[in-house]
Amino acid sequence: MLAIRFHGRGGQGAKTASRIVGTAAFLEGFVAQDSPIYGAERRGAPVAAFTRIAKEQIRERGVIVHPDVVIVADASLISDPTARVFQGVDDRTVVFVNSSLSPQQVATQTSCSGRVTTLDLTEIALQRVGKRGALSALLGAVAGRLVGLHQESIRKAIAEELADLGLSPSVIERNQTVAAQCYETVQPVTIETGVPQPIVPVQLQAPIYEPPTRGTARISAAANSVLRETGGWRTFRPVLVPDKCNGCWLCFTYCPDGVISMSKDDRPVIDYDHCKGCQICVHECPTDALVAEREKEGEVAWRAK
Amino acid sequence: MAGEMMTGNLAAAWGARLADVDYVPAFPITPQTEIVEALAKWCESGVMAARFVTLDSEHSMMTAAGAAAATGARVFTATSSQGLLYAMEVLYSISGWRTPLVLVNVSRALAAPITLESDHNDVLAARDSGFLQIHAETCQEVLDSILMAYRIAEDERVMLPVIVNLDGFYLSFTREPVILPDPEQVKQFLPPFQPAHLGFKASSPHALGVAVLGGVTYSYFRHQMHLASFNALAVHQEAAADFARIFGRRYDFLEGYRLDGAEDVLVMTNAFASKGKAAVDAARAEGRRVGLLRLRVIRPWPADAICQALRGRRAVAVLDQNLSPGQGGILFQEIAASLYHEPVRPRALCSFIGGLGGKNISEGEFRAIFEQTAEAGVRGKGMGPVLLYTKTEHREMTELQMLAAGPIAGS
Repeated sequence: MLAIRFHGRGGQGAKTASRIVGTAAFLEGFVAQDSPIYGAERRGAPVAAFTRIAKEQIRERGVIVHPDVVIVADASLISDPTARVFQGVDDRTVVFVNSSLSPQQVATQTSCSGRVTTLDLTEIALQRVGKRGALSALLGAVAGRLVGLHQESIRKAIAEELADLGLSPSVIERNQTVAAQCYETVQPVTIETGVPQPIVPVQLQAPIYEPPTRGTARISAAANSVLRETGGWRTFRPVLVPDKCNGCWLCFTYCPDGVISMSKDDRPVIDYDHCKGCQICVHECPTDALVAEREKEGEVAWRAK
Repeated sequence: MAGEMMTGNLAAAWGARLADVDYVPAFPITPQTEIVEALAKWCESGVMAARFVTLDSEHSMMTAAGAAAATGARVFTATSSQGLLYAMEVLYSISGWRTPLVLVNVSRALAAPITLESDHNDVLAARDSGFLQIHAETCQEVLDSILMAYRIAEDERVMLPVIVNLDGFYLSFTREPVILPDPEQVKQFLPPFQPAHLGFKASSPHALGVAVLGGVTYSYFRHQMHLASFNALAVHQEAAADFARIFGRRYDFLEGYRLDGAEDVLVMTNAFASKGKAAVDAARAEGRRVGLLRLRVIRPWPADAICQALRGRRAVAVLDQNLSPGQGGILFQEIAASLYHEPVRPRALCSFIGGLGGKNISEGEFRAIFEQTAEAGVRGKGMGPVLLYTKTEHREMTELQMLAAGPIAGS
């Protein structure tokens, strides 16, 4: 069995990518299984998805703890401990990172023990698909190529899965074209599967009773959301073009996270430590005074958690 | 005889009044309404210092009850049947918040078809909610159990809500003598409610029942409720001892009736246990060595005490006033599970279903239970579930079906 784990941020298409690979494998006659896991649905929050491909019945479910391939849709996830991107990764694991950096740079910077490959899918999507976030077809194509699936089945799978999302035929076709280019850019790798992991019975330790101050699902640490910096969730940041701003306060009103405050002269001030990069302000601004700029890896704001 | 005549409903209201509760959210439903009506009257006249609030449904009522308890208030409320089921999802939240309020459920069979009379499918639907459950046989026990319920619920070792159950009609509207405990003595038995983990202040806000994902956190808190419920076994015994010392009445998890020398034992709950005891007396008078075990505390499940009472018997019959369609009697399953590890378990375990929708259980039916149970004991093989339904009742039912069908078309 081949196990592929996808990591992305809500809205980037990690789940759809896992389905594209699942469908493509199914179309080629394999037994396939795909599933996502996520919390309360939030754009930008870490999500993961899992695709398993086998020639016989798959008897695993849920989280993939020992992946053969890890697909990282957003490099900022690597330094987010809650995302656990490198969990179970060893020197056999193929790790693809959507990054403008070289594989060696990523491997060194992140101390990744896996076999790292990279491609700047965000830039490709921006230039050729014309949309920032939607990487599902591209991620699917890369993952499919890495594990040796055929280009035609990937193409069919993209059509099926994107049609299911309600996308128009022209958008689907453009995705297929760009995905095919990504497919050809990436080289398939030899993956050593089925290496048995030693199984040791765990030591069970049932908790004892604790007084209700500890034993109740209760949080007394007030106003702690300030401590959880979510600026690192951004792939794109909203940036103000002051000359265009008419001071209408719409961005302030629409911001779902309350990270836009207004200055005395009616200009938005964005708290980049907490802005998740949802781009709702960019979308709502009537004078295009807010624009989306891609976060650059390694820069200060990008590193914020 | 000491005391005064009062219904089970009034006894329940007196329990809340004597417990000096702070808040009573209410919604009417037969056969419970009398409880909240009495409390409304007392709050209005000022003899009770509680805030009485009418809500727009049982769901809102239980939400208000849990929220008020989360502020540190002592809360009482009551419902029945469909009302309990409508509030069901909130029950799980309340126990998860570890808010130790007391809910009285007046048992009434569940629709459809709709009825007003008692059986226990309503309260047993809340079996897994994390609420403790005390089932009462008499009006006195209703009142006393509410006082004990607050004492147990509010203990730091427990901090779980409690359902006190009484049968609709057979207790709720039935008057019998009840001794009202002295309010000063109640204060001695029941200290003020001062929870360390509850209470909202603007200066120290906190969140209860927060979202947890991944299962590790959820498992921990759910398991804490399980441990808290089991802690209630010891806490109950302490409360029972104190209650007996102060008021002279003793309540245990179980009540054994004529178990000494009993070959066969009938297991029952709630008000009909009185009839079961009468049936035991009648059978004993004829030389049959039978006894009765009444389950009073259903959650936590007092498995050790149950095994101790039933081990070595020839046969045990469990009379469930409930029916889990496709399975049988709910309490039968739990008794059977408890006895599985017992080295000297009864030779036969028999399941009877009776009193559904408030149907009477006659002396003759009890006698049939004793006879069939004795035979099963001799045979060494259990039986059931057997529905207690007589030939006469079957004939009545057939006649009703003919009436319901109306004239046959074309004739």
